[in-house]
Amino acid sequence: MESLISTFNIDYKLLIAQMVNFAIVFAVLYFFALKPLFKVMQERTKKIEKSLDEAKAIEEKLARTEEEHKRVIAESRKEAAAILAKAGEQAEVKKEATIAKAKEEIGQIINKEKEQMRAEKAQTLKEIKQETMDLVIATVEKILGEKMDDKKDVELIKKVLNK
Amino acid sequence: MSQVEEQNLTEVSNGGHEEILHENTLYAEPIYHVGNFTITNALLNSWLAVIIIILLCLAVKSKAKLIPQGIQNAFEMVVEGFLGIFDSVTGSRAKSMKFFPLVFGFFLFILINNWLGLLPGVGSVGQVVAEHGEKVFVPYMRAGTADLNTTLALAIIGLVASHIFGIVAIGIWKHFNKFINLKVLAEIPKKIFKDPTVIIVNPIKAFVGLIEIIGEIAKVASLSFRLFGNVFAGEVLLASMSAILAWGLPIPFMFLEVLVGLIQALIFAMLILAYLTINTTAEEH
Repeated sequence: MESLISTFNIDYKLLIAQMVNFAIVFAVLYFFALKPLFKVMQERTKKIEKSLDEAKAIEEKLARTEEEHKRVIAESRKEAAAILAKAGEQAEVKKEATIAKAKEEIGQIINKEKEQMRAEKAQTLKEIKQETMDLVIATVEKILGEKMDDKKDVELIKKVLNK
Repeated sequence: MSQVEEQNLTEVSNGGHEEILHENTLYAEPIYHVGNFTITNALLNSWLAVIIIILLCLAVKSKAKLIPQGIQNAFEMVVEGFLGIFDSVTGSRAKSMKFFPLVFGFFLFILINNWLGLLPGVGSVGQVVAEHGEKVFVPYMRAGTADLNTTLALAIIGLVASHIFGIVAIGIWKHFNKFINLKVLAEIPKKIFKDPTVIIVNPIKAFVGLIEIIGEIAKVASLSFRLFGNVFAGEVLLASMSAILAWGLPIPFMFLEVLVGLIQALIFAMLILAYLTINTTAEEH
């Protein structure tokens, strides 16, 4: 052992000095280089994982949205077709109703007119009758007035009354 | 009074009266004394390595952002690569993350120290000191890991850390029983009627625990001597090659040593990681 120490010049002070050297190396390496580096590397790993997850989620969302999109479009197409059909039907019904109504109204108007015309005709006839009567009376008066004496008058009255 | 190796070599080969001994010593030579503390050339190099690592860490720290750029990118790539290797040893990312700073610290410190020993000027720029009446060339710089003090310090830290982690992970009683197995001995009276073989088996188990203690000492020795031996051998190899022919010949060996430096740093770090993993795993028989 003695010879070993003297051959290789083992000196506990040098041994400790080299240990201190290594301790410095270890401390510097750990605190200055590896600790921040590991932190950064871990952060990066996390970030990449997060990004990948997010990308996946976004892709899924996109697919879902597209599906929804297609579904909505198909649905709205169907709905539009239904609405169109309904509108056509309704238009038909309305048209018919309008026509019927128009017919009815026209009929009514015609009837009214007819009635009015009849009434007017009756009135006119009445008026004509009256006027004719008046005229006849006047004419008769004129004709008879001069030639009528009391006798004849009474006779006539009687005649008329008898009638 | 500093001189370059080549000059020394020529002087030596000339065999002048002023012969300067130029040898690769097994130990780091002292350069300066502060009180009774000796600063060796290996310690100087270690300090340089520490400074380089601090600068590197500061550069990374100042640029640690969510979107990596430049040096952070490179650093992260290395860290990620190491985490991948660690996972295959520890078996779980959580454990790898827990051990990472310590093990990576070993790797970086040893690697920088190994490679600093290969820089031109290290081992060749120095001073000539009179020693025992002879003039000896003493380089200012020497790879930090080419000194047993350094490797021994690192091995001891690694092993102590592995035991601390073990105690924290599985509890002091369980960890203690891995080495001095009182639990197994205490079980003998309870189980002896059901299964008489425990009287033979359990003392063996307890003895195996004692062998583990020797194993721990062997771990320190193997870790420190392997690293020291490889780096020191590399230095000797390079010096020998440049002694044969200083021009060109050492270049392939230089590349070899760059590789050896990396591999040895990796081996040391991975062994510490393996010890950490073993000690934090509860043993089930």
